[in-house]
Amino acid sequence: MTEGPVDRLQRWVKVLDQDRCIGCHACTTACKSENEVPLGVTRTYVKSVEVGTFPQVRRAFQVTRCNQCADAPCVAACPTQAMYLRPDGIVDFDKEICIGCKACIAACPYDAIFINPDDNSAEKCNLCAHRLEIGLEPACVTVCPTQAIFVGDLNDPSSKVAEIVKREPVTVRRPEKGTRPGLFYKGATQATLDPLAARRPDGGLFAWATQGGEHDPGHVTSGHPGRPNSSAEALLSYDVGHHAPWGWRVSLYTWTKGLAAGGLLVPLILILAGRMSWTDAAGRWAAPLLALGFLGVTGILLIWDLRHPMRFYLIFTRHHWRSWLVKGSFIIGGYGGAVALYLLGSLAGSVPLRQVAAGFALPLSLATACYTAYLFAQARARDLWQSPLLAPHLAVQAVLAGAAAMLPFAQWLGPRPAVTALAVLLCGAAAAHVLLVLGEISVTHPTEHAHLAADAMTRGRYARFFWPGLAAVASAVAAPWVGPAAWVPAGLALLGLLAHEHAYVQAGQSVPLA
Amino acid sequence: MSRSADVPRGRPGPRKRAAPAGPTARERAAAEPTAPGPASADVPRGWPGPRKRAASAGPTAPEGAAAEPAAPGPASAGELAALGERVSAARAAAEARGETFYPGASRVHLAAFPPKERWDDWVELSSRAWPAREEHHYMLVPTTCFNCESACGLLAYVDRDTRQVRKFEGNPEHPGSRGRNCAKGPATLNQVTDPDRVLYPMRRAGRRGEGKWERITWDEALDAIAARIRAALAEGRHNEIMVHIGRPGEDGYTERVLASWGVDGHNSHTNVCSSGGRTGFQFWMGIDRPSPDHANAKVIYLISAHLEAGHYFNPHAQRITEARANGAKVIVLDTRLSNTATHADYWLSPQPGSEAAINLAIASHLIQTRRYDAEFVRKWWNWQEYLTECHPGLPATFEAFQRVLATLYTEFTFEFAAAESGVPAKTLAEVAEVVAGAGTRFSAHSWRSAAAGNLGGWQVSRTLFLISALLGAVATEGGTFPNAWNKFVPRPIHTPPHPGVWQDLSWPEEFPLAQNEMSFLLPHFLADGRGRLDTYFTRVYNPVWTNPDGLSWMEVLTDEAKVGCFVALTPTWNESAYFADYVLPMGHGSERHDTHSYEQYDGQWIGFRQPVLRAARERLGETITDTRQVNPGEVWEENEWWTELSWRIDPDGSMGIRRYHESRAKPGTRLTVDEYYGWMFANSVPGLPERAAAEGLTPLAYMRRYGAFEIASGQGALHEAEVPPGELADLGVTPIGRVYTSAPPPRSPNIVPLGAPGPDEQGRRPVGVMVDGSVRRGFPTPSGRLEFWSSTLAAWGWPEHALPGYIRSHVHPAGLAADELVLLSTFRLPTQIHTRSANSKWLDELSHTNPVWIHPSDAARLGIESTGDLLRVQTEIGYFVAKAWITQGIRPGVVACSHHMGRWKLAGQAGLASGGMMATVGLDYHDTTWAMHVSDPVRPYESADPDTARIWWSDTGVHQNLTFPVHPDPISGMHCWHQAVRVTPAPPGDSHGDIAVDTAKAREVYRRWMEQTRPAGTVSPDGTRRPHWLMRPLKPGAGAFALPTCERGSAGSPR
Repeated sequence: MTEGPVDRLQRWVKVLDQDRCIGCHACTTACKSENEVPLGVTRTYVKSVEVGTFPQVRRAFQVTRCNQCADAPCVAACPTQAMYLRPDGIVDFDKEICIGCKACIAACPYDAIFINPDDNSAEKCNLCAHRLEIGLEPACVTVCPTQAIFVGDLNDPSSKVAEIVKREPVTVRRPEKGTRPGLFYKGATQATLDPLAARRPDGGLFAWATQGGEHDPGHVTSGHPGRPNSSAEALLSYDVGHHAPWGWRVSLYTWTKGLAAGGLLVPLILILAGRMSWTDAAGRWAAPLLALGFLGVTGILLIWDLRHPMRFYLIFTRHHWRSWLVKGSFIIGGYGGAVALYLLGSLAGSVPLRQVAAGFALPLSLATACYTAYLFAQARARDLWQSPLLAPHLAVQAVLAGAAAMLPFAQWLGPRPAVTALAVLLCGAAAAHVLLVLGEISVTHPTEHAHLAADAMTRGRYARFFWPGLAAVASAVAAPWVGPAAWVPAGLALLGLLAHEHAYVQAGQSVPLA
Repeated sequence: MSRSADVPRGRPGPRKRAAPAGPTARERAAAEPTAPGPASADVPRGWPGPRKRAASAGPTAPEGAAAEPAAPGPASAGELAALGERVSAARAAAEARGETFYPGASRVHLAAFPPKERWDDWVELSSRAWPAREEHHYMLVPTTCFNCESACGLLAYVDRDTRQVRKFEGNPEHPGSRGRNCAKGPATLNQVTDPDRVLYPMRRAGRRGEGKWERITWDEALDAIAARIRAALAEGRHNEIMVHIGRPGEDGYTERVLASWGVDGHNSHTNVCSSGGRTGFQFWMGIDRPSPDHANAKVIYLISAHLEAGHYFNPHAQRITEARANGAKVIVLDTRLSNTATHADYWLSPQPGSEAAINLAIASHLIQTRRYDAEFVRKWWNWQEYLTECHPGLPATFEAFQRVLATLYTEFTFEFAAAESGVPAKTLAEVAEVVAGAGTRFSAHSWRSAAAGNLGGWQVSRTLFLISALLGAVATEGGTFPNAWNKFVPRPIHTPPHPGVWQDLSWPEEFPLAQNEMSFLLPHFLADGRGRLDTYFTRVYNPVWTNPDGLSWMEVLTDEAKVGCFVALTPTWNESAYFADYVLPMGHGSERHDTHSYEQYDGQWIGFRQPVLRAARERLGETITDTRQVNPGEVWEENEWWTELSWRIDPDGSMGIRRYHESRAKPGTRLTVDEYYGWMFANSVPGLPERAAAEGLTPLAYMRRYGAFEIASGQGALHEAEVPPGELADLGVTPIGRVYTSAPPPRSPNIVPLGAPGPDEQGRRPVGVMVDGSVRRGFPTPSGRLEFWSSTLAAWGWPEHALPGYIRSHVHPAGLAADELVLLSTFRLPTQIHTRSANSKWLDELSHTNPVWIHPSDAARLGIESTGDLLRVQTEIGYFVAKAWITQGIRPGVVACSHHMGRWKLAGQAGLASGGMMATVGLDYHDTTWAMHVSDPVRPYESADPDTARIWWSDTGVHQNLTFPVHPDPISGMHCWHQAVRVTPAPPGDSHGDIAVDTAKAREVYRRWMEQTRPAGTVSPDGTRRPHWLMRPLKPGAGAFALPTCERGSAGSPR
């Protein structure tokens, strides 16, 4: 820290002394009690891992909860500032303005946030800010039989937390994610800190509990499903159930949004390329109606996915610009406006109006297609989504979707050159998509997380979407050569793209983070 | 009586949100330009800060802050700094006001607890409404946790508006638990709001166990049960009345009631729990519990899992952890990897039953290397008596004893112990050196675990104490105390005489040395026709589920010829209550009165359990005369229940019972709990009246306010205290130095149970022991010293075990077939409450299944492929089907299964709306063969608590105890829990939770074990049933000890 007024601020941090922790779960129930946390969700719990081989074996504990990051991904991702960083280091939240979009959950590298089923708002550990406020230690600190948890001001050199953090070997979880956690572990082992260091037990079982998720398609069970990161024998013996934040609606939204973007983008490309005129019916009516229709569906899906759908407007009234969910909403809104203007031009028969609208729509359609790459990248620990090629890939997908969707209209309404051009465009986009996907899955993944996600996509739970999806899109490469039947591979391409989106979105969330 | 709060609410319902005063901070923030935050770019546009400033700015905030208006606009660095200062000043301000500051773990200015001066009206902010400041006013009322034997302090937060308990925290005024709790403390709230709990007295309407019930009034229950007992007593059927205690949670109340009835009717769970451990200590010290001073130890030696489940889990875990931080070494003997084992510096995973061999190898090392405390041994061991009796040819000198001692344990080499235990000799030698280096700072504890698992398990604690006694680490700082030095049981207002009868069903002749009641043999004794029960009470006890051989229990409990009337006093429905005639709802830890005192460090304290809503409403000025006025539904408590029942048994006082339940202040009226405890606290707790007076309180009011009181600390070595001259009159001194006096005993307010050595031939009472020419208090043993050699064991038929030694377990590898494994079935999880966990949703969510731990090598050998695969575990009398947990945390050749799980209800009981977190089972039987099958697992359901619809697990584990036969240890009487089992992959058709048992086979095993006994009729040296000096809860009068005839006892083999 530099000199200045900031020095006088507190920096609340916690130390979890795993050398003292006996894994009794007093903190778990005291927190449930203090914060009235329902069954099925937890603000804090004690993960445990059995390390070693008999008789050299131990059970390692890790008190697991929000890391109070100085660079909190959840705060950046939250569209409404419901999740916010207090200058004293506490990452706090306000349930009254949470829209339930789950962006914070997707963003958190520790999977420490959940939606409370009682109020549908996101919550997590906030160091019992309501107790600090009245001069009391957090409930978990007070209850702990062995005093393994303590809180304090890191900026106060005489505090116990400062003594430990500054003088003793401490670790944080996932430092590579650059979040600068305010939760320091003393005596923790890599077997617990790394979510993939320990093997996931078979049979849906832990040592004294079940893993849950029997009827939950989005359930994420902790532990490495195969050969764990650590060469030491390490078996996960307790963890709570986790849940992928974004389900089928988000998978579908990426597809409808691609269609909406490509629906106008592709005709505009054709017009610019001279394969269609401003007056052709396909460009004049089909394109804007397609784009607007799917934009509408996209909006419905996005709002439907909110746990507080009636609060969706807060994205626009409470926004902050670090959230790509906010930027995306404005981009979609802007694109929707441009498409509407274009449609107005169609209705008014005004080519200049459409040309002006197209000037806006062209870049906005690309932005609509591509912003999701940045939204997903805000989920810092979901490594599959961190690909730098994701944005161009989304542009390719938009072209693919737009070409496939426009092709039947062009066949129906003409003009002939557009049909040929669309088939070629479809062929090219499909080929590019297939190449990008093959590149994605054949490359050596930089992290075990990305590797496991790709594995889930290509060999695991989502392979049944992934491979048919890829084959269906690949069939569209044949579009220029099948004549009037080109609508068939076009339709297959659209279905294939939908399957791909689902596999990609879900596989990206299938790897445990806790 | 009042019927307030009929249905407890699942969770405190939606609360009133305080109307925000004007625009919220967010609205203000949105309306104003953002100041660029200097701290980081992350500073959002408005850290809202408190949305609504409380009228008083936080209960501990300094007064100056109170008037400060809410600053509009975004929180600036300055405002935060002000907040920091305000909070920092909290401690100083609280102390300046003369309030108590309870420092917490963090050693910062934050308090761990509200100052006790504000417990009447403590203002907290709602966590749900945060960051809006929604205030709630609470009255903080202490009570005691009822969820294990540790009796930790709790502080109930009673909402002053709703008069409901919002939460339970620890009680900082409690000297044992010091404000801290385990998971089970906060979970008390679940029990209180449990939608399944019993709220009204119920009487069975159909056949026993049929599941038909009718709600009755307390008067109906009291009158019917009192009439039965009155008739039994009038007809001399005293032994047909029995009260069987599960979780006692109190010191002596129930025994006192039974004594007032003149019945020997106290039964306990102790022989399925700790009596193996107790026996070893009892024969050494005349006191059956150790009190290790872990906090000050240099070496801590634990045989069992004291960091998660051992006796006094939370209080001991605190102190063990302190000692570790100060450099103490921890040695843990536990076959499975417990949470305790994981923290051990030395984890020894012995072959089950070999623990005493390890202890003896260490003892032998101390002896051979002459690193024992010879001076302590010379002064405090009964070596002289041993030489006189066993080596009459030797001179009775200490040197002679040392020479004998040096030869006694030579066969217990590290190699021998290694061969028995499977722990490498090198490790044992290393551990022995660590022990040798501990000196008198060696704290040791063994309680259940190995002592409860094995035939001869009592020698585990006897050999463990041998190490302490060799090191002289007895009642030293960092050593192990006799518990009576650290326990205080205040004398009550009325003390009825010892009953004049002897209950053979609990204290049969075959077990003259049994530490506690032979409770788990009761169904067999009833089946043998040894007696019948007219009225059988269970109290927070679930015999069908808890005991081995539960189906034999079911057979007798459903037989009205054997058990005339079964009354279940219980806070929850359970597997036994389903077969009762009356189910009478009793309170949880925050709904009942009890006192207790437990040895958790070198000090003496008493704790007070109380109905917190009663205390709260009394503080608010109400008069409560009956706990039912404040408890949910018509839930009562036993104190008042027993008084009322006793009164109705003897309405006119003619039976001599009523006077023990009568007010002294207002003769002719019932003794109230206020008078009972008021008298006790005023007259029997030294220092309490003075301390209370200093706060302007009566002793009772003090205890109602603070819940606990420390009477003394730093007791030290009470056995070394010189007996005051006033107690020395007409002395008789035996050749081994036992001193008798004819001076009357001083009346002590402390009636802590301990051994009671008898008088000498002149009728003088033992007062002490002669040590180097002065009379010291000594120990309550026949010799007055620590009994290395037990004259009692020698005289009562077991001379071969009179010294600490090694008895091969019934599961010793030499006795196992090639395909048998040892099953450890006793271990506890830190998150479960025996048979009450299914009424605590948070605990069940954390732990709800008990797979069988099995080592990968065994799994591979037996063809068990993966964790989660079903196993069939075959015992002597049947089998159970469970899932496999393949783990490195268990010794090869041994499997383990936690004992909490497998809670069930019969399909026919489904109409009760009870047992929502228990599986529904079908139970079929044909003659003596029983089969249980889970028909419906746990599933979400609708109730007053929205959380029951969120139950996400279905597995409830398996009730393995049903498949265990009884294994009574012939000396201690302990049920020896370990089982020799065959484990196979479950055949097709088996499903999880299946149980099959043949109770005819259970009878055979019972008879086989009975053959090992040496009945009093054949071994008693003096024609009595039991050595009179040994401890016994509710000891009958001396006359009842006489054996009825000398011919009886045919069930045992002669010596």
